[in-house]
Amino acid sequence: MTEGARERILAAAVERIAEEGIDEVRIARVAMDAGVSTSLVHYHFETREALLAEALEYSYERAGDVRIGEGDGGLADMVDQLLPYPGSLERDWILWVELWLRAVRHPELRPTAARLYDRLRTWLAEGMEDSADAERAADRLMALADGYGIRVLIGAMDIEDARREIWDALTETQPLVKLPESPFR
Amino acid sequence: MSPRPRLGHVRRPAMLSAAAEVIRERGLENARVSDIAERAGTSAPSVLYYFETKAELLKEALTSAEEEYYDELEGELAGIESARERLARIVAGGAGNGDYDASLWMELWARALRDPQLAATRAQLDGRWRRAIADVVQYGQERGEFGKTEPEGFAMLLSSLLDGLAVQIALKDEEVTPKRARELTLAFAEKELGC
Repeated sequence: MTEGARERILAAAVERIAEEGIDEVRIARVAMDAGVSTSLVHYHFETREALLAEALEYSYERAGDVRIGEGDGGLADMVDQLLPYPGSLERDWILWVELWLRAVRHPELRPTAARLYDRLRTWLAEGMEDSADAERAADRLMALADGYGIRVLIGAMDIEDARREIWDALTETQPLVKLPESPFR
Repeated sequence: MSPRPRLGHVRRPAMLSAAAEVIRERGLENARVSDIAERAGTSAPSVLYYFETKAELLKEALTSAEEEYYDELEGELAGIESARERLARIVAGGAGNGDYDASLWMELWARALRDPQLAATRAQLDGRWRRAIADVVQYGQERGEFGKTEPEGFAMLLSSLLDGLAVQIALKDEEVTPKRARELTLAFAEKELGC
């Protein structure tokens, strides 16, 4: 398979999974969107789990490239990147939740989840290197963002409220974390 | 008069625990009504008589499991005098002592995205969880153990943190073990509550 075809399949899979959920996605539809044959998709991604895992990694890698280049890279920026803002962040989030659900029952997906968590953890810890315990602070921020993000994603919470509450939680736990003044007021 | 068979009150709980088991093992997508029926010692049509869809089975199974959980939790909390210890018990329940029914919850989270009925169930169960937390905060404030944090706001924060950690525990993340999750949460709660 050419690199181009593989990328087209993964890009199509990201869109379809985000729209329909991994259980409902039809491989034939992904193939059609990507302009390849169904058998080619089946050949390279033997199971739905494999397709989900690769699509998610692909999406995050692409997002990583974009994210590093955007904003001032400060912590406020990071908090934003962790939440399901409409567009690519929201789409990544839907795949992320699909991964949670699948990885509970399919251990072969857990390394994918662990890799993504690790990447996030490292990224956040770098952004918090001034704090007394960057690793702890990073783990806590990551968990808070997951907990708030899922609520935003399913429409149970306003994204600006989530953003403010996460920021407040970060600043209130000083001196564990040293932060500038909130930019969200 | 309802045409419901008289044995309904006996069968329903059996169906719900069977449904919870099968969904935990295979996921809602692959849970077959006939498997649930077999495990409950009844027929697929009887299951479908009480629960029209699999989503309804998930909703009822999780709701009934949560009711049991809260009954037990409330009993335990009532026997603990210190508010701080009560909070520790809540945190232990939310972060990995096996109380948190990760696979059923994960189904609910993922499906709430596309199913309004399940979204409503999630909101209801989430509200119950936050109330349990807020009650402990209030209790601690009455006893003078906790500072003046707003109980509902703190409950939102703590439940979000615990949910995020519970996902990593459920996925067997090597960094976030149940022990570390509890430590992170309690250290955070102590700062927030000034205790």
